[in-house]
Amino acid sequence: MRKQIYTWELHGDDTDGRLASSQGHYPPVGTENSILSGAFGNVQPARQTALVGEDEFIVIEKIGCTPGISPYGFRVDGAGNLVKWNPNMFINIVIDTTNYYQDPQNVWSSGVSGYASPYPIQTFDNPYYELWPPVYVLPDQTVDVRYTLFNDIQLSAENNDWTNIPYSTILAAVYVEYTLFDGTDGLMARKLMNLGIPVNVGTVENYRRLLLKSKGLETETFEFYLEAMRSERERRKRERKNQGVATQQDYDGDL
Amino acid sequence: MSIRRQCYEWRNIGQSKNLLITPPLVSNNEFNDVILNSYPVSAINYKVGTASEKQFWCVVPIANNAVVDIFNGDIGNNLDIPGQLKAYQFIVLDGIAVYPETFNAQIIVNTTRYFQDPDGVPSRDGGISGATVPFPNGAPPSTATSLARGRLGGMLNIDFQEGLQPPVIIQPGDRWAVEVKNNSGKTWPFERGSFGLKTTTDIGVARCYIKYLLIDGADCIVAQRLIDAGWPLTVENLWRYKQDLIKSHIYAGMAELPDEIKNARRKV
Repeated sequence: MRKQIYTWELHGDDTDGRLASSQGHYPPVGTENSILSGAFGNVQPARQTALVGEDEFIVIEKIGCTPGISPYGFRVDGAGNLVKWNPNMFINIVIDTTNYYQDPQNVWSSGVSGYASPYPIQTFDNPYYELWPPVYVLPDQTVDVRYTLFNDIQLSAENNDWTNIPYSTILAAVYVEYTLFDGTDGLMARKLMNLGIPVNVGTVENYRRLLLKSKGLETETFEFYLEAMRSERERRKRERKNQGVATQQDYDGDL
Repeated sequence: MSIRRQCYEWRNIGQSKNLLITPPLVSNNEFNDVILNSYPVSAINYKVGTASEKQFWCVVPIANNAVVDIFNGDIGNNLDIPGQLKAYQFIVLDGIAVYPETFNAQIIVNTTRYFQDPDGVPSRDGGISGATVPFPNGAPPSTATSLARGRLGGMLNIDFQEGLQPPVIIQPGDRWAVEVKNNSGKTWPFERGSFGLKTTTDIGVARCYIKYLLIDGADCIVAQRLIDAGWPLTVENLWRYKQDLIKSHIYAGMAELPDEIKNARRKV
């Protein structure tokens, strides 16, 4: 079990950013591009979408991107370098061919904005959006995170407000946080999901303890699964009590 | 079958009919006030204030007391059709935020408005204000004084940080909408002429954000069961109900078989 993060960043290209001087460095506006396999920014060298292996299980817990709406939120230093840019961006999760986000008319939407889920989070930010419940990506599924920029940096550059976009300026960024369950942990995660138990570090560890205690599956299978579910519920209840977030139901008993 | 955390964001930004520096020009200074099923593409205005000016960024002014539907209000990013749930969908609307602080947001389900005044009449201000639920949380106030001083940070959502509790449950077949109302006393963004409209920073952009849990497919049936039993519609309760279903199924597999089946001769 490993907590993973992946960040994507779009840096300046040390030109003024105009169409004539910067070809193919900046993504076209209004179109979706992948942070894993797209042609822009610091994508992985192999440029592949993430295929979850047959002994893996991924739980995506957090996504975020650069906040800001107006192109007039830019800042230029005394030397004419662009040092801040509002990309007006949205991010979306795609699993196989399905978009996670849809709008109220039930069709594809651009996803979450940087204002709803900012990255990086600054002291005055208190994000509204939380990816709860988390997103499960099962073995043999592909997962992709795609961004859409709506402020055109190259068209803006034509106005000569800056003379250079240095590499040190991050124009847009995406952040993804997930837990990777690998090997036997991945198999246990899959089993927990089949039992309707939430998949997280705590539940997988608990399931592993149970497995070790029962020395495999020598006991009656049905009873074992029942014990797994009962144990998980008890563990969760104890955890909630310890955390001080237990409700009346946790104390009164509910089984 | 899924339980997904969704959100929708509205802004009063128009989209230029011309997004080219070089000819052929469609036109200068012409905007579509509404853009469907997407967000407008923008850029810094080209040589603003000169003869060769071309506009790529503009916010759409909202008149005082005007009420704008964020799905179909003909301002900013809109949808083709109103929000309506399919027969296999539930929505748990638990988050709403609006900006600036002088705007209010109201949730409408079918013909009922969520926020009301103490006399039982739907909120005359138009719902919950941006001063209570600013978007984003920590957004600077939009007053002229704040603008002049360039203050950063400011308004915090404290009371509704956990969202609407209890949340608004929107049932299959229900029609729903969210409206924002300008209560600033002036056209928004005020104290700005046409120059201000086309050079404003985020502080001049009105916006509204909603967050909801979309339950669809088989999970919708589970949600209906929870409602029938009087349980709150939360992710945890949905999971728990499904666990119980699976557990019952396992129990059923362990049940004693009737004697005639148990004692019957086995056939190969």
